[in-house]
Amino acid sequence: MRIFIRSAAQISIQNPLCDEWFENPISYSQIHNRSIDPDFKAFIPVMEARRMGRVMKRAIVTSKSVIPEENRATLDAILTGTGLGSVEDTEKFLNALLKNDEEMLPPSNFMNSTHNTIGSIIALNFKCHGYNLTSAHRGTSFDTICFDAYLQFLKGAKNILVGGHDEMTADYFALFDQIGFWKKESFTADILKESSTKGTFAGETAVSFWLSAEDGGDSLCSILGVDLLYKPSQQRLQESLDTMLAQNGLSKNDIDAIVLNCNGDVENDTISREVAEAILPNVQQLYYKHLFGDSFTMSAMGLYISAVCLHRGEIPAHLIYKNGAGNKRPRTLLLHNHYQNKDHSFMLLSV
Amino acid sequence: MDSLILELKEEIIKSLNLEEMTPEDIDSDAPLFGEGLGLDSIDALELIVLMERNYGIKLANASEGKSIFQSVRVMAEYISKNRTK
Amino acid sequence: MAKRVVITGVGIVSAIGVGKEAHLRALMKGESGVGKISYLQTKHTDIPVGEVKMSDEEMKLLLGIASESVITRTPLMGKIALKEAMQDSGITDASRVAFINGTTVGGMEKSEKYYMDFFEGKNTDYIAAHDCGAGTEMIAETFGKFDFVTTLSTACSSAVNSIIMGGDLIRSGRVEAAIVGGAESLSKFHLNGFNTLMILDRKVCNPFDAQRNGLNLGEGAAYIVLESEESAKARNANILCELKGYGNACDAFHQTASSPTGEGAYLAMKKALEDAGLNPEQIDYVNAHGTGTGNNDLCESVSIQRLFGEKIPHFSSTKSLTGHATSAAGGIEAVISILALLNDFVPGCCQFQSPIEETGLMPVKDCLKNVDLQNVMNNSFGFGGNDSSCIFSKIR
Repeated sequence: MRIFIRSAAQISIQNPLCDEWFENPISYSQIHNRSIDPDFKAFIPVMEARRMGRVMKRAIVTSKSVIPEENRATLDAILTGTGLGSVEDTEKFLNALLKNDEEMLPPSNFMNSTHNTIGSIIALNFKCHGYNLTSAHRGTSFDTICFDAYLQFLKGAKNILVGGHDEMTADYFALFDQIGFWKKESFTADILKESSTKGTFAGETAVSFWLSAEDGGDSLCSILGVDLLYKPSQQRLQESLDTMLAQNGLSKNDIDAIVLNCNGDVENDTISREVAEAILPNVQQLYYKHLFGDSFTMSAMGLYISAVCLHRGEIPAHLIYKNGAGNKRPRTLLLHNHYQNKDHSFMLLSV
Repeated sequence: MDSLILELKEEIIKSLNLEEMTPEDIDSDAPLFGEGLGLDSIDALELIVLMERNYGIKLANASEGKSIFQSVRVMAEYISKNRTK
Repeated sequence: MAKRVVITGVGIVSAIGVGKEAHLRALMKGESGVGKISYLQTKHTDIPVGEVKMSDEEMKLLLGIASESVITRTPLMGKIALKEAMQDSGITDASRVAFINGTTVGGMEKSEKYYMDFFEGKNTDYIAAHDCGAGTEMIAETFGKFDFVTTLSTACSSAVNSIIMGGDLIRSGRVEAAIVGGAESLSKFHLNGFNTLMILDRKVCNPFDAQRNGLNLGEGAAYIVLESEESAKARNANILCELKGYGNACDAFHQTASSPTGEGAYLAMKKALEDAGLNPEQIDYVNAHGTGTGNNDLCESVSIQRLFGEKIPHFSSTKSLTGHATSAAGGIEAVISILALLNDFVPGCCQFQSPIEETGLMPVKDCLKNVDLQNVMNNSFGFGGNDSSCIFSKIR
């Protein structure tokens, strides 16, 4: 089965709603970074936006950017991945709860604190009654949703919106710092590849895709397969990849590059490299988190940069993690993602 | 009463996040819900919290809000009669 | 794609007990587990809830987990339910089985306790235990190894959505079996959240009654073991019933309120019927979402009327017994629906007195026994209009 990525849009720590990162990426040396937001008022009427936190506004903007108006209400599914949902609202409610001793709490913040608020607010905005699902599973929240999209297309869906959305507030950053998520020493994203210490640097995610069963002549690329695996052995990973390739009449030699989730955390990156070397030795390796930072749903950005590379038929030098075999005008890419070596995912893409 | 009305308008703008609105934009006698300001049931709950926090008025259930939140003026009158702070 | 999905095991923990036998007894007798708060620490002790009648310590003891281990309440309940479901199904090797968990509140019940500590570097082990996926993985660890693990979070319909994804997963051939459902413990966070929405009843809730006055929160965990018919037959498993069909739709009306026409609920039930290949008159019992709030019960009644017309099947909400266990509710009620189907009874609403004026619909008040049930429907609706429905059928 072939699923076409008709359109994609991102808001991140790179310039939003464009691909300036491709030619002129912004380089970061701070550990905590928040996205560069577009002017929300250009996309969402003020009265509508008044209860939305940042993560929701970004989701609406990227969703509207990818789905043409005439296709919004008839989408077969709106699928959302988010590790934490609207952290801003959760924190406001939690702080009020603790500060006011369970009295006089803000209902809107509670209402917005559930993870599915993002997906349901998109449905509300699009007046779309289709299948609506949210996954909140750590570093594979977005991957789960892509897997579900695959299942929905198998069942005959025609058009689906998928998105990955997470924010990183100051308090959440501080909490994750307590458990070693972030770099302690100074660093610059340019040298993330050479890192030999624990921790990464934070970004935020808002990426939406229009997936379709039809090409439409303007597609960025297509998705050939998606798989999720829990605590897989090397052998199980191999088997999953082989199945995916066989289903598409491809072999490992067809893969031009493997896109890794390397983020500068030595433990994370060691696993990624081991997987890559085991399943696709000598194939060139790409990475993207040095441009976008990390979040629970940053794998959505991995899909985004891969789609752009396939569409342009070009891999910018700054995405190359390790040189190796593979066409410099890529036709087939394999995305690998993992979270703490427990949750793994593959996505096979082609032009 | 006029100063309470102005104060209320400022508080409503703040607590309902009505960015870009000023007290002058809110008609003291226009309905807050539906056609007037266009607020909804969640805003009503926020207004209930506002009344408790600022004026010590506690409503037992949300339906009591309906008659009180007819307009800013009605709300101000209710508050001035029932406030405990 | 046309694989038949059967159920080969169930596991359940809720306010009315631990295990399916305890549930069967309480449902038949109409015993409610809703009462005064005794485990959750909150100042709102006037709000009745349906708590699982065990402390974290007691659950750890039951599970053989060291008392000092870092684990939140949700996964503790989840582990108990998962263990029962696995044993019930007879599956011993989970290495090619999926586990899909529905949850929303995650580890909040500990985070709200230690939040200020976290910033001072104390109790920081619970930071990584906070997110939804963390709880799912703690539950998954019970059996060492699953092939596929994920978490779905659509508030109060999370567990039914995990049933739906599990069904799709098996139909696609990706796995032969999937353990699906949800787990959620009470937290001060969402008790207060629902309280700010002013929809908590100060008495035992009264779903579908004209005088209904809100919901009671509950907690618990429940899982069902879905399996392809071939796999179940090949290993000679005890097939309980079939997952006949399911549907998910979005109301797309308001962030918390349901539409007056019950559009999302209607579409979810209609899709489930179509997927099952059944006509409305073939449904013998609907375990409704029936929270007891003015808005939900009216809209759900309207949607039931729209779908079933003149011939309304038996319907009831069991939330006056279990409380509304939010993300776990769909799992708990799926197990209740399956128990009803297998034992030919319809659990009652218990508190019911007079019908909702607008619809006049009469739910089942007291448990009906010896009712011939062939197909039962289980509804679960969430904030944001995330509405889902699934249908279980006897294998004849």
